[in-house]
Amino acid sequence: MIEFKTISYEVVQIGEEFRSDDFTVKPEDVDTFGYAVDDHDPWYFEDDDNERDSPYDGKITHPVLLGNLALFMRHNKYIVPAGLHAKIHCEFVAPIRVGMHVRVYGKLIDKYERRGRHYIVTRFETREEDTGQVLVRGNFTQMIFPQSGVHQHAKR
Amino acid sequence: MPSVELKAGAALPALKKTIVQRQIDCYSGVRPNSIHTDLEWAKQKGFPRTLVQALMSTAYVSQMMVKWLGAGFVQGGQISASFINPVYEGDTLTARAVVKSVEDVSGRPHVTVECWCENQNGLKTMVGSASGFTDQLRNKQ
Repeated sequence: MIEFKTISYEVVQIGEEFRSDDFTVKPEDVDTFGYAVDDHDPWYFEDDDNERDSPYDGKITHPVLLGNLALFMRHNKYIVPAGLHAKIHCEFVAPIRVGMHVRVYGKLIDKYERRGRHYIVTRFETREEDTGQVLVRGNFTQMIFPQSGVHQHAKR
Repeated sequence: MPSVELKAGAALPALKKTIVQRQIDCYSGVRPNSIHTDLEWAKQKGFPRTLVQALMSTAYVSQMMVKWLGAGFVQGGQISASFINPVYEGDTLTARAVVKSVEDVSGRPHVTVECWCENQNGLKTMVGSASGFTDQLRNKQ
């Protein structure tokens, strides 16, 4: 049995690679996301071509639909009790569609301490597995909670 | 969408979102020991209520940009965001964007906006920028 370590600043290493689970985009994922962020754009939901009025042949999904798949990559290697997202940069390369079989590939490119807090920076690419097409790429910075569990900022 | 001038200082129509726990649950997935969906755990970590996942704010920026630029954002758009204050369940966020620059990128017209989200008290929770191409505007202006 593989034993996962709890994520910490000391344990993670620059250059470490991550990979998400593979994921097939389903209509209910788009529905759930649309409700969560209250975005019901016809480009994502309308079956009728005229009603949709989109340059795309068929429906696409929210460009940021797969953000959490990228964030959860580290859960495949570590126990992650909590963390806070500090920054993100995303480039949207190609539209995401229902039925695509996707996976996120990531690499830890930096880790640093600032004002007593620990941060890790991960570069990522979300790709369609069948074709290798990059859909979204970028990097994100996360703050890792200390073993004690509480940062001062949380008390604001 | 109302017409937005392609010149520095022009404001996009703001988006207002009051975020309820069910939406956070749908976005983050309900898990025990999660600061987003487990109130007791969030309190143990020092937060007064569950936290809205920071990435949800980028979805609001994306919504503004797709509505305006259409395919010019879906293919070739970018978002850069820093999350500077926590957003809690029940908060009302307003997402805003103002045109910062208009220029040619690889021979195509391209716009960059400064964007941010602020809560019901006027406190900025996210700041950043977004960009995309303007040659495929929706609802041609």
